[in-house]
Amino acid sequence: MKKWYLTFVLLLPVLFLSNCGVKKMGNSQLIEMKVPQDPTVSFIVWFKVGSENDPAGKEGLAMLTGRLLAEGSTLKNSYEDILDKLFPIASSYSAKVDKEMTVFYGRTHIDNIDVFLPLFEESITMPAFKLEDFERIRSEMLNYLEKDLRYASDEELGKAVLYNFIFEGTPYGHITEGTIDGLKNITLDDVKAFYKRYFNKNNFVVAIGGNFADDLPEKVKKDLEIGLSEGASNVNPEIKPKPIEGLEFTLVEKDCNATAISFGFPIDVVRGDEDFFALWIFKSWFGEHRNSLSHLYQVIREQRGLNYGDYSYIEAFLNGGALRFPQPNNPRRKQIFEVWIRPVPHEARLFAIRAALRELKRVVDSGLTKEEFELTKKFLLNYSLFYAQTTMERLGYQVDSKFYNINDNGNYIEYFRNKIKNLTLEQVNNAIRKHIQYNNIKFAIVTKDAEKLKEALVNNVPSPITYPTPKPEEILNEDKEIAVFPLKVIPEKVRIFSVDEMFVK
Amino acid sequence: MKKYLFFFTIIFGAIMLMNSSSKTGFFPYEYKTETLENGLRVILIKMPSNGLVSYYTIVRTGSRDEYESGHTGFAHFFEHMMFRGTKKYPGNVYDRILTEMGSDGNAYTTDDYTCYHLNFTSDNLEKVMDLESDRFQNLWYPEQDFQTEAGAVYGEYRKGKASPFFWIWEALCNTAFEKHTYKHTTIGFEEDIKAMPQMYEYSLSFFHRYYRPDNCVLLIAGDIDFDKTMSLVKKYYTSWQKGYTPPKIETEPEQTKEKRKEVIYPGKTAPIIVVAYKGMAFNPSDKNYVATILFGKLAFGENSELYKKLYIREQRVLFLEEEFNFNRDPFLWMIWAQPKNEKEIEYVENEIYKTIEFFQQTLPDEKKLGDLKKNMKYSFLMNLDTPSKVASVLARTLALTADINTIDVFYRTLETVTPQDIQNIAKSYFLPEKRTVVILKESK
Repeated sequence: MKKWYLTFVLLLPVLFLSNCGVKKMGNSQLIEMKVPQDPTVSFIVWFKVGSENDPAGKEGLAMLTGRLLAEGSTLKNSYEDILDKLFPIASSYSAKVDKEMTVFYGRTHIDNIDVFLPLFEESITMPAFKLEDFERIRSEMLNYLEKDLRYASDEELGKAVLYNFIFEGTPYGHITEGTIDGLKNITLDDVKAFYKRYFNKNNFVVAIGGNFADDLPEKVKKDLEIGLSEGASNVNPEIKPKPIEGLEFTLVEKDCNATAISFGFPIDVVRGDEDFFALWIFKSWFGEHRNSLSHLYQVIREQRGLNYGDYSYIEAFLNGGALRFPQPNNPRRKQIFEVWIRPVPHEARLFAIRAALRELKRVVDSGLTKEEFELTKKFLLNYSLFYAQTTMERLGYQVDSKFYNINDNGNYIEYFRNKIKNLTLEQVNNAIRKHIQYNNIKFAIVTKDAEKLKEALVNNVPSPITYPTPKPEEILNEDKEIAVFPLKVIPEKVRIFSVDEMFVK
Repeated sequence: MKKYLFFFTIIFGAIMLMNSSSKTGFFPYEYKTETLENGLRVILIKMPSNGLVSYYTIVRTGSRDEYESGHTGFAHFFEHMMFRGTKKYPGNVYDRILTEMGSDGNAYTTDDYTCYHLNFTSDNLEKVMDLESDRFQNLWYPEQDFQTEAGAVYGEYRKGKASPFFWIWEALCNTAFEKHTYKHTTIGFEEDIKAMPQMYEYSLSFFHRYYRPDNCVLLIAGDIDFDKTMSLVKKYYTSWQKGYTPPKIETEPEQTKEKRKEVIYPGKTAPIIVVAYKGMAFNPSDKNYVATILFGKLAFGENSELYKKLYIREQRVLFLEEEFNFNRDPFLWMIWAQPKNEKEIEYVENEIYKTIEFFQQTLPDEKKLGDLKKNMKYSFLMNLDTPSKVASVLARTLALTADINTIDVFYRTLETVTPQDIQNIAKSYFLPEKRTVVILKESK
């Protein structure tokens, strides 16, 4: 009896970081990444469309369309039949929709490609647009906005509110899931029209990684071209966030047991820009995601025990509560510098805001020291190896490199490491001074008794802190400075909403 | 004569267990295992990974071992303390060295075990071993650090409490169990977390009782040389003194009638229902045990008839899934669903019971059972493509058995399960008097 899994025994030792051949030609719609030792094949089909293309009043349309393709019936198979066919081969496909990008992921064992590939392609080229599938997915998205996002995680709520606040009035001004009114307004015909406009043969890129036959990429590309209609490549709308004037606050009033704080401002740097890598060193030192290297984490959590963690970002980091590393395929032409303070006790909220701002001011004014710079650089040279360990992750980074026009010779991680290796302290500190500041910032805060916080903010009320247990003298002395760190906030720049008002329009 | 044979079988088996190497069987990578004299179980897995290594220290103690009253959540709290360092490598020095390596490290605590994991490049293997063996033997922290960390743990508790699943999970454990320590969740009860800063002395005894080599598994996967790595393990871990003191966990009395509980979540959410049956301890060679795992997936899994009915066709639920976990002691076989609104709760609950009755009366389809077995094997193997994924997939099984052969045993047993076995376990275990039902509703 042939044991099907013997192929794994022979092939699974995947050299996932080895020098696999990557072909990525100019304006080609194909990215190929050969990993001969990988017994699986990974697919990404990228359409240049995202929530920035949601029509006004129909926010959520891009995500609803993407999900309907990946989680609905096709003209050939009902959704139930698709699940039945994919189940024995433990394969699946899914859609990820972000501001500017919709990607369809699929992965299967090489043995099962003949079963998997037609189903995957048909999901993109032959969606059935069944009303029942549409209603199912829309009701899930509505439940997410009306209940889960508002109530189940105060920190995710805070981050979503921050992005909407910073990009208010721009095509980025609503989260990818849309708005409640927007979703309710969308009809099945809207989805069909959106699909016809954006999911066309001139608006996609196919990326294939793993162990595949040489002619497979061309075949997939052709299949999609035959299946998709004529159309134009999408032109991105302008994203021009309103200038921030001083410290601006959106307070979300909620009966919660701790205060979640996020703040940030737009930056003019994206992946591939020279200053991007310098700022990466800065954000890593200031607030590496879920890592004790983070300076903010040391100040707020390790020394004071006020919360579970404190991090900073220069690129959108989705699903940060669950992931340790950034995931590819949410590239954006406009990024923000973002600080995430995990929930602190209400009585420490003003203190935590001041502590974080004070640290930001210190690093902007003084820059990193030689020692901090060298340590962070050393850290990132190895730590970045974990960003893309699987074939799918590496393929995802290749898609992003194409988005950002980065010529990385098929290996973004190596490219990134080289950039980091060649940076100087001066470059990093110049980039901090050029792009990071502490005077014009937007805050999103989920808290109880928001009026009381507003009053304290606009009156610059000192926020001394007490601890249930003893603390070293140097911490207590520093606390005295933090407690009176000046906040210049005017009442007009503090607005308060109840949680049930969020994400409505 | 027979007695001698028996004696040799035992000895031979023990040697095999104590020092073995394999690359055959279902698990696809070559591995080597050895038990040191102090009882530390060492499992090395060799896989090409371009120089990356995953290093897991699995302490076979979790919230299950918190048997003394007022100490719920302590295993998790203690996990935090393990990062506070030793006299040789104080916490900030430990952090600094790992930062310089660019390693990815963290830890997590579950009901049955606590896991400390690090990923790094193989040239740092000896340094990591020096650091890790040191903190597991010589952990030291001042009382002030201990108290500060209690604040971070309380912050983690507050963060989690926003979720409705936090509320229903706490109520489920508390309702389903009377005596066993599975009665409390891993994060623990709030009053116990609040009291943690006063438990410095207790924390020292916790360390001495449970953080012993004879209660741990060391798993190293990636680009490693078996002999060199094993020599290093011996160099750094031999001095660790055995002395594990097992917790005094009470046996859960047999449940004789259905239990029900309603929870009100202080926020807005679609309702959640969990129907949980008293389960079995992990036993991969027991056909009934493995048949139960298969039953859960066949009846309530992502490709089950009930999933298609409730989620796709009737659209009455936001999700339906089974959670039949591997546990050291008998835990719960759980079926979770989120009806779209409160009017659907009763219908969904009844559909769960009707499905169980169907499996009690009808043999499952042979093809569907075959598809499921194939799915489980492909899923398992396709998820082993990096050292950290290999280690994380294996961690729970190794925490329960300390034996990597368990994987092969499980999949061998899986092959033997028949439709009749599925029907038998549906009849024997999924009875009304064995279940606890918890329903969570939003506040009005």
